[in-house]
Amino acid sequence: MAGTAAVLSGCVTAGNDDPAEQATGAVTEDNPLGVPDGADLEVVMFDGGYGQEYTQHAVTLYEQRHPDAAVTHEGLQKVGEVLQPRFVSGEPPDVVDNTGAGRLDIAALAAAGQLTDLADLLDAPSLDDPAVKVRDLLLPGVVEDGTLDGTAYFLNYSYVVWGIWYSRSLFDQHGWTAPATWDDMLALCEEIKGAGIAPWTWQGKYPEYMMDPLQSLAAKAGGLDLVYAVDNLEPDAWKQDGVLAAADAIHRLVTGGHILAGSEGLSHTEAQNAWCSGEAAFIPCGSWIEGEQQGVTPEGFDMAMAPVPALSAADALPYGAVQGASSESFLVPAQALNPRGGLDYLRCLFSGEVARGFAESAKAMPVVKGATDGLDLTSGLASVAAALETAGENVFGYKYRTWYPELAVEVDTATGELLAGRADPEQWADRIQAAADAVAADDSIAKYER
Amino acid sequence: MKPNLSKARIADGALHLVLIVWAVLVTLPLAWAVLSSLKTDAEIFASPWSLPAAPQWDNWARAWQEANIGRYLLNTLIVVGGALALVMLLGALTAYCLARYDFPGNRLVYHVLVAGMLFPVFLALVPLFFVVDQLGLLGTYHGLILVYAAYALPFTVFFLHAFFRGLPTATAEAAFIDGCSHTGVFFRVMLPMARPGMVSVGIFNFLGLWNQYLLPLVLNPDPDRYVLAQGLAALAVSQGYRSDFSGLFAGLIIAILPVLLAYILFQRQIRSGLTAGAVR
Amino acid sequence: MRHGKYRFLIGALAPPLLLYGVFVVSPYAQAFYLALTDWDGLSAEAGLVGLANFADLWSDPLFLAALRNNGFMLIVVPTATIALALFFAACLTLGGGTRRRGRGVHGSGLYRILYFFPQLLSVAILGVLFQFVYTPGGLLDGLLGAVGLDGLQRSWLADPATALPAVTAVMIWSAVGFYVVLFTAAMESVPTDIVEAATLDGAGRFTVFRRITLPLVWDSVQVAYVYLGILALDGFALVQIMTVGPGGPDNATEVIGLTLYRSAFTYGEFGYASAMGVTLFFITLTLTALALRATKRERVELA
Repeated sequence: MAGTAAVLSGCVTAGNDDPAEQATGAVTEDNPLGVPDGADLEVVMFDGGYGQEYTQHAVTLYEQRHPDAAVTHEGLQKVGEVLQPRFVSGEPPDVVDNTGAGRLDIAALAAAGQLTDLADLLDAPSLDDPAVKVRDLLLPGVVEDGTLDGTAYFLNYSYVVWGIWYSRSLFDQHGWTAPATWDDMLALCEEIKGAGIAPWTWQGKYPEYMMDPLQSLAAKAGGLDLVYAVDNLEPDAWKQDGVLAAADAIHRLVTGGHILAGSEGLSHTEAQNAWCSGEAAFIPCGSWIEGEQQGVTPEGFDMAMAPVPALSAADALPYGAVQGASSESFLVPAQALNPRGGLDYLRCLFSGEVARGFAESAKAMPVVKGATDGLDLTSGLASVAAALETAGENVFGYKYRTWYPELAVEVDTATGELLAGRADPEQWADRIQAAADAVAADDSIAKYER
Repeated sequence: MKPNLSKARIADGALHLVLIVWAVLVTLPLAWAVLSSLKTDAEIFASPWSLPAAPQWDNWARAWQEANIGRYLLNTLIVVGGALALVMLLGALTAYCLARYDFPGNRLVYHVLVAGMLFPVFLALVPLFFVVDQLGLLGTYHGLILVYAAYALPFTVFFLHAFFRGLPTATAEAAFIDGCSHTGVFFRVMLPMARPGMVSVGIFNFLGLWNQYLLPLVLNPDPDRYVLAQGLAALAVSQGYRSDFSGLFAGLIIAILPVLLAYILFQRQIRSGLTAGAVR
Repeated sequence: MRHGKYRFLIGALAPPLLLYGVFVVSPYAQAFYLALTDWDGLSAEAGLVGLANFADLWSDPLFLAALRNNGFMLIVVPTATIALALFFAACLTLGGGTRRRGRGVHGSGLYRILYFFPQLLSVAILGVLFQFVYTPGGLLDGLLGAVGLDGLQRSWLADPATALPAVTAVMIWSAVGFYVVLFTAAMESVPTDIVEAATLDGAGRFTVFRRITLPLVWDSVQVAYVYLGILALDGFALVQIMTVGPGGPDNATEVIGLTLYRSAFTYGEFGYASAMGVTLFFITLTLTALALRATKRERVELA
């Protein structure tokens, strides 16, 4: 077999060990990150629900700052498949928006030394005001979200809040209000059913969507201790009272017949369209739903997000607490040809101007402070901003999904069974606990703690 | 005789009924996709079978523009056409040599080639990327053509091998006696005799390559060189984020149309090719 | 033998084998090597772990579920597709019965065009299309409602009992047409005088089919079996696009391709994923060898 030997010598794992030439130009007031003159820039972004307008916008700013640079900008849906070989071969782009179902595992990228430390960017003067560092322009928690083992490796662009969505106009018409406790929720469900509308629908093909209200109920009941126990894979973490009570609360939607028939077979778009067309009153979702549905939302629908109701009066967190996290992870590969340019591109991206454009075009919250101030917010985005305001410090989030994707798959499968009425809350908890124990016992899986 | 005849008639009727049922089953989803491509999103969700209030040709225009179908169609034709020509030539040569010549290692080569049909392609993706990259062929038409041809080779050889074995030896013997070279015998005698088999396997290959998705996904990162399957997948995925069902259906129909037309135009040739190929 | 044989062989075989060696054999050889490592798909190094990946496979519930489901498809897809295709092909060629001896039913040309349609759809299109067929209140439910079978309406892809059959049905639906055309082609090459003679001898259509036609098209059936078997062991794209989860509900539609894909691209366990691929390769190899052997024996009996 001629030819085999020659190619095998360039085997995958042989890799590319010569360090990319660290191209750095002169650092000036105008060029604080030392981008070399005329160095080209390649940006690869995830082309999802937020569109490409904001990353294009940043390209325009970058081109104004570096007129000699040729900038290529590409939107992709399967970031992982396309970029993985490029990372391994040492030829990654200069900026990557690593998001979407096909994203790369950022922790693995960091562990493999594939990411640039963003400290220089965070301490650089922001584009808006040279007196303010980029770091101080970001909402609280954003830098922490992108920090692994003490180093900032990526920055998320969008701030996502999870809750329960409804149509304001529909609720006004019937005199309903978003319930503050789960008992009120169940009572309201009866009333909604009486009006000939299904109280709930959900994105059944992706059970993760229903896991968000479930784990929000649990977090409110048990507080951050409950959340950390789950994330740290503690024994019987999934059998804590709060978790079981939350699963039972969600299960009551099933036993009470409050879910639109067939929801367990609907994709996210189908379920959301059923909700938008008035077939169901509530749907669980993150704050991206308004942007995702903008093409099909009827005039005057006025969607709004309410926090997940409180489980009981003894809850550890207030009703206003919300699950929130930043997403859309931007990073600069360590082996990029123009890493300084990559950092400067992010400086453009995380500027007030681009962030404002993002809020308008993508109908989502950017992580840049004050970006939505003075903007005429759409109904959904305004409700999200208000919810965040009310929540204040009480924003929580789970990490097990990113830390242990193996566990997340089993959580979703079990949740699907719970919602289809084929498993009760005990069976649901047993199944997930078994999977969590298996992950905890598996030495080949890297463990994290919070 | 009479009762027999009417019995046969009932049997005929039943046969027709079964055939019609399958014809309906096969055409319904397609007809429905065409219908949906002309409706608004709201109409699609209101009822699957209702007719559009006014045909939304705009969906087609949107899909054509956004999904860049024209450009992708051309790319696909270049890549699939090139790969098809290459794999047919190389595949026929290989199959012929393996089927008609005895030499040490013959069985081994045959088995290694045929084993290539049995391996899941995406496992080879990452190593393959390096191979293609190191040869400087990433994102080029000729790189994609070579890879497509290489991956279509096993089936081509598998299919044609049996075909060449079945061809009569007398003509070739006569040609050799007339002083024809080995190359001459292959191109002037054996290849023309194998034409029906070539047509069959060519059709198999065309359909396989036309629908190739994983290989271009990784080896063809340049959107200007996207093939149709990549463009459609992008359309389908972005639909998941933006809710444009009608545009998606329009894109699907536009992508199906060229193959459908080609099939209807050439179906007689395709069938006769398959007929000859099937006899072997 | 004749002079120049080896020069011709080398000249003819070198280009295709070089092409195949570079683009197919070498990547797969690397995959075989990776199966013995713990490579994460991103670092430059990988540690050798021997056969540990292969040992882990047999306690991985997802992999076992995938094996079971692929096994189901492996039995059902080729059998059902070939049975349907042979039946339709026989109708189209022999179905004319006593009046149109040995010829097809009326309109057989049209049927042949229609039946081939699904073959023209790529898997991505198939998946998207059938998602809408199976969705609650979708095309299938609509059809059932129209013929008064409302009781059968359900969330086809969300019910563990129907999800796998639903996906399998799509595979069969899309494959039958091609084999109808292939088998009709083979059947038409059966000399009409043999069929006519048999019919005059009083043989019924079924007997003609079983005694004369089937043995003569057995070669095509054999090729079809291998090809469909490989198709049934895949199923990745359809499952990924169509099913709940994907791979659900409750792992009811998990297939090896999906488990492999998830391990490699979601969990970054490239070594482990490669081990799955290698295992799949050996399973396919064994089954193909068995199938070819089995069908060969049958051919001798029939002939």
